[in-house]
Amino acid sequence: MRDYDVIVIGAGNGGLAAAATLAEKGKSVILFERHNIPGGCGTSFRRGRFEFEIALHQLSHMGTPENPGPLMELFKRYGIYDEIQWIPIKELFRVNFPDGTGISLPADRKSCEAHLCREFPHQAQAIGRYFEVVYGFCDQAAEFAAKSAASTGEPGALKKAVMKAGFPRLYPLLVKYAMKTTQEVLDEFFTDPKLQLALSAYWCFMGMPPTRFPFSILAKCTTFYLETKPYYLRGTSMMMNQAIMEAVTRLGGVVRLNCGVQRLVLENGTAVGVVDEHGEEYRAKRIISNISPLATYGRLLAPDEVPESAREYLKPYTVGISALTCFIGLDCPPEEIGFTTSFTLNYESLDANRDFQDAYKLLPENDPLVATCYTVDDPSVSPPGTSVITAGTLKYSAEWEKLPPDRYYEMKYEAGRRIVARLEKMYPGITEHIEEMEVATPLTHMRYLGHPGGAIYGYEQDLMQSVFFFPAESKIPHLEFASGWVNACGFGPNYTYADTLAARVAKEV
Amino acid sequence: MAKTIRETLLGTLEHGQEIMENIRVMRSVSGDKLPTDSVTRPAEALHPRQLRLVVQSVADTGRQAKVLRFVSEDGYLPPFEAGQYINLFTQIGGVRTSRPYSLSSSPRQRAYYEITVARTRDGFVSDYLLDQVRPGDRFTANGPAGVFRYQPVFHSKKSLLLAGGSGITPMLSMIREILDAGLDRDVILLYGCRSPEAALYHEELTGYAAAFSNFRYHLVVSDPAEGWEGERGLLDEALIRRLAPDFGERTSYICGPQVMNDFCKSALEAMGVPEKRIRREMFGARRDIQNEPGWPAGLTGDEEFTLTVEGRKIPARSGESILTALERAGVRVNVCCRSGECSLCRVKLVSGQVFLARGMLRRFADEQYGYIHSCKAYPIGDVEIML
Repeated sequence: MRDYDVIVIGAGNGGLAAAATLAEKGKSVILFERHNIPGGCGTSFRRGRFEFEIALHQLSHMGTPENPGPLMELFKRYGIYDEIQWIPIKELFRVNFPDGTGISLPADRKSCEAHLCREFPHQAQAIGRYFEVVYGFCDQAAEFAAKSAASTGEPGALKKAVMKAGFPRLYPLLVKYAMKTTQEVLDEFFTDPKLQLALSAYWCFMGMPPTRFPFSILAKCTTFYLETKPYYLRGTSMMMNQAIMEAVTRLGGVVRLNCGVQRLVLENGTAVGVVDEHGEEYRAKRIISNISPLATYGRLLAPDEVPESAREYLKPYTVGISALTCFIGLDCPPEEIGFTTSFTLNYESLDANRDFQDAYKLLPENDPLVATCYTVDDPSVSPPGTSVITAGTLKYSAEWEKLPPDRYYEMKYEAGRRIVARLEKMYPGITEHIEEMEVATPLTHMRYLGHPGGAIYGYEQDLMQSVFFFPAESKIPHLEFASGWVNACGFGPNYTYADTLAARVAKEV
Repeated sequence: MAKTIRETLLGTLEHGQEIMENIRVMRSVSGDKLPTDSVTRPAEALHPRQLRLVVQSVADTGRQAKVLRFVSEDGYLPPFEAGQYINLFTQIGGVRTSRPYSLSSSPRQRAYYEITVARTRDGFVSDYLLDQVRPGDRFTANGPAGVFRYQPVFHSKKSLLLAGGSGITPMLSMIREILDAGLDRDVILLYGCRSPEAALYHEELTGYAAAFSNFRYHLVVSDPAEGWEGERGLLDEALIRRLAPDFGERTSYICGPQVMNDFCKSALEAMGVPEKRIRREMFGARRDIQNEPGWPAGLTGDEEFTLTVEGRKIPARSGESILTALERAGVRVNVCCRSGECSLCRVKLVSGQVFLARGMLRRFADEQYGYIHSCKAYPIGDVEIML
């Protein structure tokens, strides 16, 4: 038996950051990862001359050297900031409409607003008001978050009444918009469906259509990316994974790759250790699980060890969406096929909410298509004269789960064929340039992530399950959760969430 | 019960009451969400963690090769794509190792998998499979895996298969599938062998060529005896141009010994065939690594060095991969393709020098942080690694 201050299960973004922060604070920490590489959802793979990014489109929270964001500060603390070549992305994204037109948004508030006003002059006033609300909302949300973090315990009845009365006056935008969907808010400001689609694009980062996508997440994505700038990095997200993993080791932590955890050890209902896949037992004062709460309670504990409160707590939560993605290596540069903005969202109609419903079907139909060409911002991402594109749609796994195994490959390639046909419409000639291509289905994500439903964002990120209602609480003493299942998923949010969590845990042990 | 401050404040938000009420309803109408069974079963039906195989039959081809037919111990074999391999684990003389074998049976029938094992010089595993294995023997394997297969989205429906020696095995699976299922594809197979006697499945292939107009087959003998009337020589540019004049419209697939594989690739490149139309199966590590381009002058492959891993010191020969040295010493390493591609056997090089064979598909981050694929890394001095 071996003793540590903290055991971390899973070297995804949350697990890596938690382990690094604990090691940085001088705690003894061991991080288990069942795969042969760190990174969880955010890794890469090689085919031929190409290396394909699996998850990262744009890193948020980085900031600029003059005005560093929280993630840059974190990577500096870990001592890895200078090990990585950061690549600023010029434009937030491009939205392509079915009539062949499209709009690209610059990664700067002033130019972004100005550009939108030029494109949609009849809505110029509303655009100005909208951005005021988006920024104002985020300011109030941040202010309130800071205030609640500082307060402790339940106030008395009188104070509660005062707070209740004062709250709408202090945080009017929070009160008005915090529980609204993206569609509701966009309808309040804009009538032009193209303008709505140009502003709502981040819905695809959370896998919820605008009618279900919390406006507060859209507002935060918008301000974060505009203010801390979107970044990519040389060498895919694997560079961050490996850099953080090396930092953990350098700071005195232990990382075990190729070594999963098979059991959580409880004593009197409190988490005290784990047993790894080889049967070796480890003990610690705290366990941080970076795998889903479902797998933590369901797979690492015997049914009679699971607290009833945990079952009760997780009841309203529904496993979220997966994806169907083509990883494509082309033997031509992006300009040859007309790819000019790295991150694009492509619509078959102006009704994103209706098109999104096709996510429940087996094959891509009118599903909004996300296509990213990494070569646009970093020509060195693949050999000279080539480019790397990932293109796909969000997909629920249910229909794929029903598919008989012997029809799987046929359907997988049919799905790939449809996605390439969609690309061909926008980028004529692309098909002829394909040198490598892999198709990942919801079952591929399920295979590598081990998530039910092949979920890529954890639970459904709607108003009932995210923002104020993430299932972040652990129902077992000394067990904590760090993954994207219990907080806003995505690289930046997940790293910073785990850092905060680990800093608290470090004080407790 | 009095509301918490949190609930109180959330209740002041527009829609706040309504959403909290919805959550209360969801909680009351939802069942237990904790899984009681594997949540990834549909993915496991395609990619089981481990295949548990039983040898059903061993058939001698009469050509220094045997066909091993495996059935599944638990009654289920996952589907595969023609051209894919399984990585078969063996325990021989106390050493646990594995070898990737292309499946030669058609993916259209899933009652069994067949592999074809050919005799090679000093074949540690192949000798065992050829001489020791009997029906009823049990094996574990991983896979099916690999990307040496027809990819309908961008491969041509016209294929040019260039096989050398036992490199015919994945091609056989492709051909059997196309012909058995009557697929709309057109195949030319050029099969290079030392002698007609060494050609595996020659009768079956000849029969197919006679029966199907969308399959043409040429056995090309490099070292023919007196009286051989068929094609002779190597699978070179002139031969390909003559036997597959429409090579430019075809996707070419190469599988065979390293030298042949490289030779055919160069020939196609010289003919102006772009990378996207050339698919290669790497087919394991080469036995004569000292003949690999870039091998350090002065090393014979027989030098013995010390490999340090987790505090243990084990012997490692320069001519054998680090993976092999680890397996000889009983160190358990994750492994699948043994050809440098899949990265499962990745280890960190802490110190010392290694020779990296071609074909290692390393991630950029692995290059930066000193990770190597141990199946294609050879010690050329004392080496320390981390698993």
